[in-house]
Amino acid sequence: MANLSHDPAHQSFDAADPHSAEHGHGGSTRTYVMVALALVFLTACSYWTYTPFWPFGDNLAIKRTWMMAVSCTKAMLVILFFMHLKWEANWKWVLTVPASMMSLLLVLALVPDVGRRMRGASRERMTHAAELSAPAAAGKSGTALHPAEHPAGEKH
Amino acid sequence: MSDHSHSAHPPKLEYQPALPIPNGKLCLWLFLSTEIMFFAGLIGAYIVLRFGAPAWPSTHDVHLVELMGAINTAVLIGSSITVVLALEAAKQNNASLAKSWIVLTLVLGSVFLGVKAFEYRAKFSHGIYPGLPHSGIYESANVNYAAAVRLRVAELKNPLAAQEKRTEEEDAKIQVLDSIAAELDVAEKTLRDNPESPEGRVLLLRLADRIYPRASVHALQDGNMHDEREHLKIEDDQDPLEEEIEKAASAGTPLLTLASAETSHADAGHLIGLNDQYPWLKLPIMIPGGNTWASTYFLVTGFHAIHVIVGLIAFGLLCTQTLNAAYSGVIENVGLYWHFVDLVWIFLFPLLYLF
Repeated sequence: MANLSHDPAHQSFDAADPHSAEHGHGGSTRTYVMVALALVFLTACSYWTYTPFWPFGDNLAIKRTWMMAVSCTKAMLVILFFMHLKWEANWKWVLTVPASMMSLLLVLALVPDVGRRMRGASRERMTHAAELSAPAAAGKSGTALHPAEHPAGEKH
Repeated sequence: MSDHSHSAHPPKLEYQPALPIPNGKLCLWLFLSTEIMFFAGLIGAYIVLRFGAPAWPSTHDVHLVELMGAINTAVLIGSSITVVLALEAAKQNNASLAKSWIVLTLVLGSVFLGVKAFEYRAKFSHGIYPGLPHSGIYESANVNYAAAVRLRVAELKNPLAAQEKRTEEEDAKIQVLDSIAAELDVAEKTLRDNPESPEGRVLLLRLADRIYPRASVHALQDGNMHDEREHLKIEDDQDPLEEEIEKAASAGTPLLTLASAETSHADAGHLIGLNDQYPWLKLPIMIPGGNTWASTYFLVTGFHAIHVIVGLIAFGLLCTQTLNAAYSGVIENVGLYWHFVDLVWIFLFPLLYLF
């Protein structure tokens, strides 16, 4: 059985080992500073949507798309440069891709039951959740709840 | 076979790691992959709860200041670059420079937490808590809200009224409480006498607005806000009643004043209601969607803040060591964790402050 702590192959990854320079990877200090400046600039780009200088008016779809694009760009910069994934070997995909896929699936799994829970609900259901709506009382479509189901009112 | 094993030397095994990285770094990355899923769950919950909600408060309704979020983002990005520079200095065996960068990271992380605490205080001072018993948030100005306001008024007034000798200040307090009670009486009587008419609800909404005016109801004049009226998104049923009620309520606001420089910076641009004018009142407030917002906001930012605190503890421990080349692996691992904390905030900032 190989002794892991004294194995030469393992020790070659020790940062104190001069051979680690072969595995050492990363950019120059200048690169890191440029990335940091880009991140601050991109933060200002997100904040731009909030200022009067934003040229696309109050269209929320454009604002949100822009902000998410900026956030994803910032995230990629942090992951690639600060977390050194740009210079890592292919093992990076083994750890990051499955976790990212699971995260995406988790969010998507919440959409039908939680994200779309109000879709198709009557206005009464949305504004008077503790009251019996007229359509519901008349036996028509609508999902307003009976008062007995929510006797404690709306708080929490 | 046994003869062969006795005569020959056993083969010399050579350790081959599965991944070409140190075990510590591998463990850290495994931990980060679980953290990705952890925060994806929290952020995903925020997204689906928010976009599936019939009503959601605007940032100014709940005393969020976009500029403070942007500054905090810049602070966290600054702390990320200092960690990277500390790692570079440690790799070059420059321990003193590495320690300086780590100390600066510690300071920037503390600044982030300080700003966050300041923001939390702005919420707490307005009765916005994630849950009972402190939360004073009601979802709509209905009879339950009216009962809660009445209960609070009685709580405040009864001890004062029981006193035989009262100061002028106490008399003034009773006057304020009486005026609120009178307004409440009128609203409840109207609601009881004519339940089909929106008039009673308008009166209750007007009272709720006096207590806690919402920026989304009062269109601010500065023009640099997002569309605040993002609620009740229903396509097939454009009943204008709710909008009429809100317009009527906002039209008669007696205390519509912008927060001045005298109030805290965390409240800049927010409106002043009875709870602000008389801080001792602490009346229940009405924010549609406010409870879900508070639960998700404090959950997401609270867990993020816990991660920041853990990172600061790690940096504090690093400060006690000599950060030479032998420690560069540890700095790299702590740095990876810190960059992940930064990464989470990169998504939280637009989602919480700008969306």
